[in-house]
Amino acid sequence: METGTDLSETMYDLSTVLDFDALESVRPGTSLLIAGPAMSGKEAIAFDVLKEGARGGEGAVVVTTNDRAASVVDEFRTDVPELGESQLGVVDCRGDGVDADESGAFVHHVSSPGDLTGIGIGITKALEGLHKGGRDRGRLALVSLSTMLTYTDKKTVFKLCHILSSRLDSAGYVGVFTIDSGAHDDQTLQVIKQAFDGLVEIRENEGAREARVMGLSAEPSDWQDL
Amino acid sequence: MSESDRPVVLIVEDEPDVAETYRLWLRDDYEVRMAHDGDEGLELLDESVDVVLLDRMMPGLSGDEVLERIRERDLECRVAMVTAVEPDFDILEMGFDAYLSKPIRSQQLHDTVENLLDRSEYDALLQEYYSLVEKRATLEATKSNAELAESDEYDALKGKIGELKDELSGSLGGIEDDEDFIATLRGLGNGDGN
Repeated sequence: METGTDLSETMYDLSTVLDFDALESVRPGTSLLIAGPAMSGKEAIAFDVLKEGARGGEGAVVVTTNDRAASVVDEFRTDVPELGESQLGVVDCRGDGVDADESGAFVHHVSSPGDLTGIGIGITKALEGLHKGGRDRGRLALVSLSTMLTYTDKKTVFKLCHILSSRLDSAGYVGVFTIDSGAHDDQTLQVIKQAFDGLVEIRENEGAREARVMGLSAEPSDWQDL
Repeated sequence: MSESDRPVVLIVEDEPDVAETYRLWLRDDYEVRMAHDGDEGLELLDESVDVVLLDRMMPGLSGDEVLERIRERDLECRVAMVTAVEPDFDILEMGFDAYLSKPIRSQQLHDTVENLLDRSEYDALLQEYYSLVEKRATLEATKSNAELAESDEYDALKGKIGELKDELSGSLGGIEDDEDFIATLRGLGNGDGN
């Protein structure tokens, strides 16, 4: 590895949300897939990763297929009281978006989760807005890939993830993406996983939620209670 | 196929002097075709064309209309729109892959064409990468870990996937800027008609 440079300054520490050694120092440009069954709290984890960053002054970009932009903005304002004017960007892909009280955040409405050009423009505007506001680091969450897979095929989603990772890499951002592991066949999950640097897998075990991290270190982590 | 292996650039421009200037700049590196208006541009357009330089303001069929027809025909070519004004963000939503503001310098024209060809190469690599990933997923879904460990095919596949991944993020530099990012996603969106 390179010597003489202090990497600790630029690395992202995601272990405050998910307590795994492998998440303590995550390289900028890393994208993570959070996979788990329905109602296992994947979205909450993805949002928590962004909120933690925002509390430390980082930018946050949310691409949502399920929640209204206004409710995402409200949630961030509530949970991150110190949230600044140019710190949050939301790309709302639900298609029926109307601009409501979303001032202070960059909000972009996209016609559908299948409108990839529109999503790209939304992300670009959000990243640019945050960058102009002085946020040089940040985290992006895309929730969820499962909805996208109902609008387009796995090949397109795989490519989208790859292209998006590449863009996040040049922006120095970290990306977290969620997928419902129960909603797709093994082949689809196997394919999508390979577009990511790391995988956070969530499972239910006798009523308890457990997680493990794969891909960021040589060996998968052990299962841990969440 | 064209007679040479050089990339093919189609110039659609109604002003002969301007078109000729572009041709002189590009002819050493590319096979250049010229069309003097939109209709002729569409006639000369076939699968061998890699990059189209499209003037926006033309009598008859406008550049915007030509672009629309190109997209309808589902050709793989990249289109650089040549405009007299610096386009705003919104204009990125139109279906072109790059824009050039007049007047254009030689270096700028070369850089744009080169960038568009790189992007096509990125697409081709991404396509190949995907098909290998798909194959790997099939093997992993159907074979046991023991079988995979013994399989030379699986081993070779993993190696090739690693190489392609490096190539995608390395030599081509990935998706550096906003315009590249949006245009690459647009290419994906166009391709998902199945």
